[in-house]
Formats: sequence, C-alpha cells, structure tokens
Amino acid sequence: MLAIETLEVERYLVVGAMLFVLGAIGFLTRRNLILMVLSAELMLHGVSLTLVTFGRMHHSLEGQSFSIFILTVATCEAGLSLSLILALYKRTKSLDVELWSTLREAELPLPLLDDDQRKSKLTLPMLTSFPLLTPAGRAPEQRGTSGEIHTENGVSLSSSRSERK
Amino acid sequence: MHWMIENWLLIVSLGLLGLGVGLLMPTSRERSRVVGWLLAMAGVGLLASRLHVATGPLTESILFWIFATGAIVCGILMITSRNPVYAALWFALVTFSSCGLFLLQSAPFLAAATVIVYAGAIIVTFLFVIMLAQQAGATLYDQRSRQPMLATLLAFVLLGSLIYTIKVWDTHQAAAAAIELRAAITTNELSRPALNQPVGTMHGLGRALFSDYLFAVELAGTLLLIAVIGAIAMAPRRPEGTL
Repeated sequence: MLAIETLEVERYLVVGAMLFVLGAIGFLTRRNLILMVLSAELMLHGVSLTLVTFGRMHHSLEGQSFSIFILTVATCEAGLSLSLILALYKRTKSLDVELWSTLREAELPLPLLDDDQRKSKLTLPMLTSFPLLTPAGRAPEQRGTSGEIHTENGVSLSSSRSERK
Repeated sequence: MHWMIENWLLIVSLGLLGLGVGLLMPTSRERSRVVGWLLAMAGVGLLASRLHVATGPLTESILFWIFATGAIVCGILMITSRNPVYAALWFALVTFSSCGLFLLQSAPFLAAATVIVYAGAIIVTFLFVIMLAQQAGATLYDQRSRQPMLATLLAFVLLGSLIYTIKVWDTHQAAAAAIELRAAITTNELSRPALNQPVGTMHGLGRALFSDYLFAVELAGTLLLIAVIGAIAMAPRRPEGTL
C-alpha cells in the first residue's frame, strides 16, 4: 500500500494528455506527410504514458503489457506508412499532403487555407536553402552556368505549388 | 459562470499555452518566436504550480519535473519546427523524456524498448526518407500550416476538459477502490503481483506476457511479419525491378 500512497497519479495523467493534444495539433496543422506520421506517434506516447500510469495505480502489469503491444503496432504502422509515403512521393515528387486534396468528393469545397498561403513564394530569404558546405577546389564542368545550384533551389521550391494547377 | 471563477487558473494557463503554441506555428508572416515562447512558458508554469504537490519523495518530484518539462517543451518545438529534420530530432528528445517518465512509473523494460524502437529505428528511417525527399532544402509546405489557430483552439478545449475531468476524479480514492477491487477479479492472475511485491520487474513482466498474453504475443509477431511483407510489397520499385 505504501507505493500507492506516495504515488501522484494526476500529474502523470496531465502530461500524457498534453502529449496527446500536442500530437493532435501537429497532425491537424502540419502539411508534411512525415511530420503528420510523427505527430501520430507523439499521440501514441501520450496514450502509453496514461496506460502505464493506470497500471501502476492498479498495481498490475496490464497497462505495461498493453503499452508493449502499442509499441509493436506503432512499429508496423511506421514501416507501412513509410512505404506508403515513398509511393506517394514517387508520384508527386513532394511530401505536401495538400497535393492529395483532389482525392476528396466532387461536391466538397477546397480544404481551408489562409489567403496568404496561396502565394507561391517563400518570404523569408534565410529559409529558402539550407547552409551548404564550401566546395573544395574548382567545381567540375557542367552544362549551363555556374549559378545553377542556386537557381535549382528556387525552381524546385516553387514547383511544389505549380504542380497543383 | 461559477465554474469559470472556480477554475480560472486552469483556463488562464491553458489559454496562455494555447495562444503561445498558436503563435509559434509556422505561417507566412515572420513573427518573433520570443512572444510565443514567453506565453507558452507562462502557461506551463501556471499549470505546473497547480499540479505541484509537496508530498512524496523529493527525488521523484525533481526527476518528474525535468522529464515532464522536457517532454512538453520538445513536443512544442517538434510540432512548430519549420525544418522537418529538426522536428524528427526533437521527437527523439520527446521519446527520451517520456521514457524517463516510464522509468519513474516503474516500467523499465518498456522504457528500454521504446528507446530502442523509436529513437533507434523509427527516427532513423524517417530521417532517411526526409533526406531522400527534400534534397533541395527548405520547402514551402513546411513554412505554412493549415489553420493553426483553429486547430490549437479545438485541441486546447479538449485538453481543458481532460484536465478538468482528471481533477474532479479523486485519484486517491480511486486507487484505494482499485486495490479493494483486485480481490474480486480472477482473470490474468500473473499480471497482478501481490501488494507487497514490486510491480514492473522484468521477471514478472516476462511471466505475464508469455502466460496471460501468449496468444496476443503470437498475434503481434504475425502482425509484424505481415507488416514487413506489406511494406516490401508497397514500396516503389526502380524500373529494373529491384528495390
């Protein structure tokens, strides 16, 4: 009984609920397919924590066993979702989930988007490319001009939107 | 109105936290992230002051606050990160923090398995796919989120009702009632160690898994096999037929 009396159940349940809700926000708002799957895994973390807490409260191993099965199913889910994402990526060359909104029923409206989201340009210059390592020595001869790397970035950035039309 | 006055601390803390998270979500406008973080941290602090209990061993309390703050802060960082690689790494930190919470709840095997499976396997494969798919750098769709304020509002209404329910429900009384109920339950005997025995030892968990849940373990193994076959069958192939 001593373990029960010193146990504070409530705060663990609150942390589990917060993890679940944060995962739900990520799943609803992010548009990257991989981040959506990761947010679903965050929700599973919250559920596992709640189950383990309840198991400890009842002084039984059932919560832990259930969480281990959740872990197994989450692994299957991650493997299957990755191969699905790769198959989707092969078709659109993009991880944007909005590109698949054409799969909706014909009479349903377009998904909710902010007006300024329709602009197909990145506004923050620092975000248009990740930092690159300084190339060592002279760049090998290529077709086209020397500034090709930078324009390549710009083209691929705006192409994810233009494919939709 | 009466219950709003009674629960003003909960409402204010969740409102601050929700507003902070909503402001941190990536949008087209460039905002300073400081305001969002200040609001979110104020909300977390208020909520923590409500959850703080003076009883119980001090070490467990300190460890709990470290892991809980780590899990929530890294979770916010993960869902608001504009770079998916960083988001995946923040998710690994959330995994570590929640494994610490599992350890505090005397589930050492589950904590170890979660670290191995999530941080060791899932994150690495996800990073592979992100780096395969986004070689060009930052993308437009990572800088925009769909309806961040609406989603945050709905999610925090859900969180508020969850926390309110947990608070109303008297956990101490429920724990005592659960202990009394144990005598009446006869199923899954090996999953219920005696009250003077520790819960969550490897020995006890192994015995429970391979006796009470033997069929479930076999089913889980079959499920893994089917998932492997399905993943290989669904993964796109190169034109020459190889993977």
